[in-house]
Amino acid sequence: MQIGFIGLGLMGRPMALHLAKAGHTLHLWARRAASLEPFCDVEARMHDSPAEVAEHAEIVFTIVADAPDVKALALGEAGLAEGARAGLIVVDMSTINPNAAREIGASLAEKGIEFVDAPVSGGEVGAINAALTIMVGAKPEVFEKVKPLFEKMGKSVTLIGDIGAGQVAKACNQILTGVGVVAVAEAFNFAARNGVDVAKVREALLGGFAYSRILENHGQRMLDRNFKPGFKAWMHQKDLRIVMEEAHRLGLMLPAAAATAQLFNAIVGSGMGEDDSVAALKLLEKLSTPQ
Amino acid sequence: MKLGLIGVGGMGRPMAERLLAAGHQLTVWSRRPDAADALLALGARRAASLQELAACCEMVCTNVTGSADVVGLTAPLLEGLAADAIHVDFSTIAPSVARAIAAAYEARARHFVDAPVSGGTAGAQAATLAIMWGGKAALAERLDPIFRCLGKTIVRVGDAGAGQVAKACNQLVMVAAIEACAEAARFAEAAGIDFARVRTATLGGSAGSRVLEFFGGKMAARDFAAGVEARLHHKDFAMLMAEATRQAVPLPVASAVMQQLDALIAAGWGTQDTSRLLAVLERSGGSPVASNSGRSAINEG
Repeated sequence: MQIGFIGLGLMGRPMALHLAKAGHTLHLWARRAASLEPFCDVEARMHDSPAEVAEHAEIVFTIVADAPDVKALALGEAGLAEGARAGLIVVDMSTINPNAAREIGASLAEKGIEFVDAPVSGGEVGAINAALTIMVGAKPEVFEKVKPLFEKMGKSVTLIGDIGAGQVAKACNQILTGVGVVAVAEAFNFAARNGVDVAKVREALLGGFAYSRILENHGQRMLDRNFKPGFKAWMHQKDLRIVMEEAHRLGLMLPAAAATAQLFNAIVGSGMGEDDSVAALKLLEKLSTPQ
Repeated sequence: MKLGLIGVGGMGRPMAERLLAAGHQLTVWSRRPDAADALLALGARRAASLQELAACCEMVCTNVTGSADVVGLTAPLLEGLAADAIHVDFSTIAPSVARAIAAAYEARARHFVDAPVSGGTAGAQAATLAIMWGGKAALAERLDPIFRCLGKTIVRVGDAGAGQVAKACNQLVMVAAIEACAEAARFAEAAGIDFARVRTATLGGSAGSRVLEFFGGKMAARDFAAGVEARLHHKDFAMLMAEATRQAVPLPVASAVMQQLDALIAAGWGTQDTSRLLAVLERSGGSPVASNSGRSAINEG
């Protein structure tokens, strides 16, 4: 299959390589030429614009930073829509505002182009091991066409609903993981300040109702004081911004997510944005000790 | 001075009346033409288009809702304004948008000033508004006489956008105080105590504030007719929180207040007064009757 792929960063690069290894021909475009180097040894053609990628592909994947980037790639000058053949499917795997995804989908539909929002969870490690969780918003028949390709990149692939539904699921994921990481950090700081062995607390709680993957994995990283990302705190900050924007649009109260978003502002504002989200622990420690 | 005025709503109309009373020549434009009829009777002139209004004025004042509304006015105004003319925007919009508009005007040798106000319709009628403005200091000489017709406290906060930053701070402090006031009212109410008396007692002490006086008074009287519609504070808070995230500045209290505003909107009270935050708390439980009877039933059981 002829597959376009744009956004060859930490996540996109291994994802695209999985598709090449499965025997597909890649059509690539990147802002920086250096991003294309890892693809010298696989079946891949380099192009001068997203429009040119779209001319050669049946399906184009994008995974970039935020909604304006997706919009520019899809609908901007020399964007995918300009070069698209009838029936092209654009699959955006970035994390963006659900409403922005719906708007991009509607604009592409006017031009006869199918759109799928398919944000992922699982981080760089999940991308390298083809073990991502992929949350999809699409028409069912379009989903069926893309599903075999999703299965080369991820382990858990779920059609959630119509366009935008994938992003809603991802927003829910970020509420749960954001609040979850902060809850574990608060509990660990509480235990430590009470002079209790935090590792034992974690071990005990893993057997009970407080068990969670975050307590297990992120909790272990906090114990090891391993703040390497993982998932960078500034990206979590961005994702929580999307959640809060959407909540505001709907007049929806999210008190725990709101408090968590502020804590992520503090993490990034204290210069720990490049750390993993488990840096929440460092921030709480700093704020609960004398200057 | 030859002045133009766009937007004749709750703030724009009384401001127009003050400017006319001070003897300025006023040309007005509004989306719904009949909205300006009352001002024509006071001597204002009506412009057929935004371009026409801009072409005949040394200074244009605007009072509209949000960033997008102000941005929408800039192209036709720039087309009509003479070189060195000033567009003063009294609306509350995002500081970053105000900065961008000012730069676009500067590039064409026109001036844009962000001058959001505080004081509400009552302040506009009495010409007692607080006006916080951002723009070039050299413009002060031309702006001051106009600002003095409209307000009492006039402060140039800094360069373009600075007025909007000050306004965001104003909204943070004021709405957080309204929420504190609502929580105090709720707390008193739940204890079976008349909040009107609590208010009178506390106004004289360290907790005395304009918010406790005005919004606390509305809560005590359960008068939720807008003053300023809560949906506008809701809009302002979205801007504040977006800016805080951009700067990575945590605002824990503002963020909690924002959640209460979201709940107020969800309840369908967006066009009522922000003092309705009291009702959001009442909706969240703890009514004196229900909790007391519930507790006694358990005790008896």
